[in-house]
Amino acid sequence: MAQEQTLRHRLAIHRPILNRIERLNETQFAYLLLVPAGLILGVVAIWPLIRTFEMSLHSDALLSPDVIGEFVGLQNYVEVITGQRDSQMGSAFFDPSNPFQSALAVTFIFTLVSVILETIIGFGQALVLDKQFKGRRWARVAIIMPLAVPIVIQGMIFYLMFQPNIGFLTEPLQQIGLFSSAPLAQSFDATVILIVADVWKTSAFMALLILAGLQSIDRNLYNVAKVAGATRWQRFKRITLPLVLPMVLVAMLFRTIQALKVYGLIETIASCNTVPSLSCMVVSTFSNGLYGTSATVAFIIAAIIGITVTGYVWKVGDDAIDT
Amino acid sequence: MNNKQSSSNRSVNRRRFVKAAGAAGTVALAGCSGNGDGGDGGGGDDGTDDNDRGGNDGGDTTGTPGQETITLDWAADPRIEQNKDVVLSELRNAGLPEHIELNIIAGSSVTDQRQDQYTQWLNSQRSKPDLLMMDGGWTIPFIVRDQVENLENHLSSDHIDTVNEEYFDSAVSTSKSQDGKLHAIPMWVGLPGMGYRKDLVKEAGYDPDGENWATEGITWEKFSKVVSEVKESNDGIEYGYTFQAADYEGLSCCNFNEFLSSWGGAYFGGNLFGPIGDRPITVNEEPVLNSIRMIRTFIHGEDDSEALDGYAGNIAPEAVLQWNEQNSADPFLNGNAVANRNWPSYIKDASEELGDSLGFMPIPHAVSADEAKYDGRGGPVGALGGWNMTMNPYSEKKEAATEFIKATMADSFHLEAVFKGVGQIPPKPSVLSSEGASEVPEIGRFMDTFRVIGENAVPRPVTAVWPQQSSEISGEVNTTLGQSKSPEDAMSDLESSLKQIEESV
Repeated sequence: MAQEQTLRHRLAIHRPILNRIERLNETQFAYLLLVPAGLILGVVAIWPLIRTFEMSLHSDALLSPDVIGEFVGLQNYVEVITGQRDSQMGSAFFDPSNPFQSALAVTFIFTLVSVILETIIGFGQALVLDKQFKGRRWARVAIIMPLAVPIVIQGMIFYLMFQPNIGFLTEPLQQIGLFSSAPLAQSFDATVILIVADVWKTSAFMALLILAGLQSIDRNLYNVAKVAGATRWQRFKRITLPLVLPMVLVAMLFRTIQALKVYGLIETIASCNTVPSLSCMVVSTFSNGLYGTSATVAFIIAAIIGITVTGYVWKVGDDAIDT
Repeated sequence: MNNKQSSSNRSVNRRRFVKAAGAAGTVALAGCSGNGDGGDGGGGDDGTDDNDRGGNDGGDTTGTPGQETITLDWAADPRIEQNKDVVLSELRNAGLPEHIELNIIAGSSVTDQRQDQYTQWLNSQRSKPDLLMMDGGWTIPFIVRDQVENLENHLSSDHIDTVNEEYFDSAVSTSKSQDGKLHAIPMWVGLPGMGYRKDLVKEAGYDPDGENWATEGITWEKFSKVVSEVKESNDGIEYGYTFQAADYEGLSCCNFNEFLSSWGGAYFGGNLFGPIGDRPITVNEEPVLNSIRMIRTFIHGEDDSEALDGYAGNIAPEAVLQWNEQNSADPFLNGNAVANRNWPSYIKDASEELGDSLGFMPIPHAVSADEAKYDGRGGPVGALGGWNMTMNPYSEKKEAATEFIKATMADSFHLEAVFKGVGQIPPKPSVLSSEGASEVPEIGRFMDTFRVIGENAVPRPVTAVWPQQSSEISGEVNTTLGQSKSPEDAMSDLESSLKQIEESV
């Protein structure tokens, strides 16, 4: 009885609010339902980003107990981008004359090459998995297996493969003139190894997403095309490719975002000193107590990712949604 | 950050915590002292989180019966964890009270990773771990940030004087703030030396004992020829000379520091402790360039465009460019290398593996001390490494932590736990000279060599900007050793980036 009274009392208090909610149109109500998700996103994503940006507007305070120094506006950005901070950051931010030793170039080269290779290989794997053949289940397991390997384990596998004294690939590759005898100590060699390692692991990710796209294609389209006399290549070009392209682009977007943030793979296989990515730079400057500089590079990565995502969405978002 | 809670609540919680931690592998010291009472300390008073013993400096060994158990978290070296039994029993013998227990958190053996871990802990002002072992190479940046406790507020003047007067000066200089206050206590010092296969060297016709290699060292020129000969005449041995030249702190602080010092050169005209921005940058000089040419000769042979005449080539594998301490020690420990530059703990391992076949000498030199361009360089040099004990300023158990630090300063602890147990060199020369030290089975026989290395040790350049400079140095040196840059270009680039860092603060 008492409980019922309490409930009624509460309802009476909230009645005006409930009435307002009931009067909302469908669009407004949908937005209202998004508020909790928006709040969570704000707390876990937007707020840290704002704090990082705020930190990036302060100087480093290396010789004082303060975590960050005085307000300097955009000076950190100017000095980082123009290379004035290179010596403090352990490697060049951008040095076109030595791309494999500069963070921005390494990050872009790694991202571009690995995402392109993963897309091509992943597409091939998806086409194979889309076919009916004996042992398809085992083929799926084999293709997906690398994706299940944790980054540290994957890193150790490749690290051991290219160790000078025990790695079984080091000597043969050196003898055919591909790598030096200490490939993980050479920036170019190590970058190639990192790309191979990344492709080995994440092609399966691309394959899975593309496979989902392939399997959503109406098979009758192929039957009609066959009746019309279309060759295998024509069927691929006119049916498969256009219909699966939005899914491929979404998968590429995911991989691009991940590749731009590469850090763990580098640290486990080579080292951030040998292959300095932007994320490496964030970690090393943070470790050395250069919090303003660290926040600046971190925000630059966030900005690059933000621009990439926006570009993708503008370019292909509508197509993807339409399909 | 003084988190005062209700003491009554905390005592109950702590007792529960201690029980839980004990079940989860916390090390109970009581068992080590022969007392056998590994309990939770019974119903102690509900005092503060620190023990109530008051600051007794005497280190009396008896805990008060019924006193509440305090568990200290100690971020320590993996070797401490491996030898925890002897470490813990010696702490107890050295006066650590019964009611103080320890939870050893074994960190990474890679110094940079330990530094990153501590940075995160201390930036977030965590109260645990209460005690942190810090590499002498990066203790000062934490001191500058007020992220380690000023120990002069806790230890008696006797303890402070002992450290200042009786410990290795170079080690103490890595433990002080700008105003000379002690913020850390050296736990052990790293005195690197050259292990070599004495049996094979003798077979090759050399006389290490007769020529006093163990105390006088030899020149790099002679060393290269000895290694080359031994390697050539022993088909089963794959490697000649192994050392650490990966692009990491160990190259800049130590290996390269030794190479250039052995040629009479120096990083900052010999001024390794600052003041930052007010000292010369002296990496682009002939002794330093020659040291690089020499290493390149060792690795790449006489065909290298920078090869030095008179030095035997191809005595070191190109793999050293990827090797750290453990990687470079492995072939030597397996009997697959002629010589290995390493720290005492690895020499202890080598002594166990190789027995009487192991020889040990100071790191070779190119010029004598008299011929060196800078003071304290040339002759048998070694970069003084080492680890310090620090207290977390946010710890809620500072009194108990102080008791622990006092116990780690006892001579008996240095000899039995640090030297015999862990295989590291105590930070007090007097302990090295003691009779007990020379009787230690594996490394006692090398005591004379360690003393020579200690006397000629080159301090590490440990200022607040060293971590940044270190990464520049190791990067440029590793690049030029890998033949991707000429020594002149690498050192010229290094000179300008070191200068920039000096001027940036």
